[in-house]
Amino acid sequence: MLILACLVNPQALAIEIVTHPQVAESSLTKSQLRRIYTMRQLRWSDNRAITVFVLPSQHSLHQRFAKERLQIFPYQLNRVWHKLTYSGLGVAPTIVQSEQELIQAVINTPGAIGYVGDKTLIKLRQQHEQGLISAFKISQKVTNMEEEQKVSRKGVVNVVKIKD
Amino acid sequence: MLLKLKTNAAVELTSRVNNLYCSRSLLSRTLLCTFLVVACFATKVQAEEGKTYANSKDFQLHGFISQGLIDVNGSDFVNDDGELSTELTEIGLNATYQLTDTFRLAGQVVYLDGGNRYAQGARVDYALLDWSAFTDEQWQANIYLGRFKNNHWLYSSSRDIPFARPSIILPQSVYFDGFRDIAVGSDGIAAKLSHSTDEYGNFDLQLSYGSSPISDEQTKNILSEHAQGSAEQDYDAQASLYWQPAFSPWRFGVSLLEAGFTYDSAGQANGDFFFDSDFTFQFYTMNAIYEGEAWEFSGEIYQQRFTIDGFYFPAFQLDNVGQGFYLQSRYKLTQQLTLLARYEDFYLDKDDKDGKEMEESTGGAIPYYFGFHKDTTIGVNYDITSNFSVRAEYHWVRGAGRLTPVVAPNPAINDSEDWQMWAVQLMYWF
Repeated sequence: MLILACLVNPQALAIEIVTHPQVAESSLTKSQLRRIYTMRQLRWSDNRAITVFVLPSQHSLHQRFAKERLQIFPYQLNRVWHKLTYSGLGVAPTIVQSEQELIQAVINTPGAIGYVGDKTLIKLRQQHEQGLISAFKISQKVTNMEEEQKVSRKGVVNVVKIKD
Repeated sequence: MLLKLKTNAAVELTSRVNNLYCSRSLLSRTLLCTFLVVACFATKVQAEEGKTYANSKDFQLHGFISQGLIDVNGSDFVNDDGELSTELTEIGLNATYQLTDTFRLAGQVVYLDGGNRYAQGARVDYALLDWSAFTDEQWQANIYLGRFKNNHWLYSSSRDIPFARPSIILPQSVYFDGFRDIAVGSDGIAAKLSHSTDEYGNFDLQLSYGSSPISDEQTKNILSEHAQGSAEQDYDAQASLYWQPAFSPWRFGVSLLEAGFTYDSAGQANGDFFFDSDFTFQFYTMNAIYEGEAWEFSGEIYQQRFTIDGFYFPAFQLDNVGQGFYLQSRYKLTQQLTLLARYEDFYLDKDDKDGKEMEESTGGAIPYYFGFHKDTTIGVNYDITSNFSVRAEYHWVRGAGRLTPVVAPNPAINDSEDWQMWAVQLMYWF
């Protein structure tokens, strides 16, 4: 059973949407998330500007995030963003190189949104508990019992629930 | 600190760009080096920036650099001697700065070397003030003032961005390099209204009004090598509407354009063969694109109307309606490797598709094959990393209808109906 769980686990790795703790939204619909990442919704409900962070387009987590969470192919996202960036029409998401950097960026930027693998979230929480990271806490607004047991501290990033 | 360094780098490049107009020798190499330094530097800054993301929220610097090889046989599309050419350089640097909650500044400088395709040198592609007039969850309204880019056609906003457009050489009947600097944008005012709903999808309406300066070199490119006077664009009015149904792989668009030009002759005493004249140009397009996981299809169909009043002699009148289309397909063989196939068919006069009447009416001075342009293209693109790509393509072209100069063509160099070209291009962007 244990071996099977280990084998299955990498594929079942969930992608969590995280925001800066001052962001009021505890959940977003799939189309809201899509609008935010295609830069069609630029403000939260309290009128604060949204700052979007992403990993490089060939990063496997980015590829999965685009397909699974946004239901857009990564090349389509690139086109939308390139058009904004290289035609002066608007501002595209900020690209960071790793999940760690992405979390750090979300923590440091009011109005920020990003995504991470749940394994990274759990690892960071463990590091925090062991006192390895002092300023890092994770809040969890998801009502799911199992999720709540995993990460349950009030702190520096929100994990946002995505509704269909 | 980092912000300041970035700004300095941008200023340094801009000042170098300005020097371009003074000395053109050595220039592309100097600029290339400067740009590479800036590019590497900027990438490094991004990597080191982990702790200062507040910067990137208000100020962003992006750019691209690309170099290729191009070989054209049978026309003067790139050069007159038909030799293999390195005149396929495109370098760009842009910045955006958020002034306030609703106002933003943005600009892009581009250096191009494309042989006969367009004037070699640097130009400002856009430099604008963006006012975010209204924004909520479903609506966005923006007003752009200054020099804005043309976003009306399927690839007009990406035509000058090597890695963002679908091929090295775009369908010339729409994205004609001879008209590049006039068509890529205008000085004036533009407005964009976007609406998104879960039921009906995304709508984008854009309106623009302005004009583009025309240099003497462009005047010669468009009109004739012997045109000694100056051409001016009086106005350029455009509108477009795009619709993408909710969660659909399809997107549909229409666009309208009307532009007016005047030519002031230098006078026959000064060796100008041509007379004062007015030109008008109207252009209507419809386009569709399908973006699937592996397959992608796109196409544009268009009609143009071009009128001349004067130019050859004071009472000369011309009123031509041209038509064309292209169909393009791309297939993603792997995550990195994309294949391209495209067919383009265009004729300048819908009542004279084979150009025979034009040849007769000019007494053979302009051969029939200047009346059309048909291009069959195959290509391949390989994404080496998220910021580095290489591309290669081959074109079989029939007709000289999209070679410069346009109004008074040069059949002495372009003496064949069929011509071919191939090109490879390396592209880096950040």
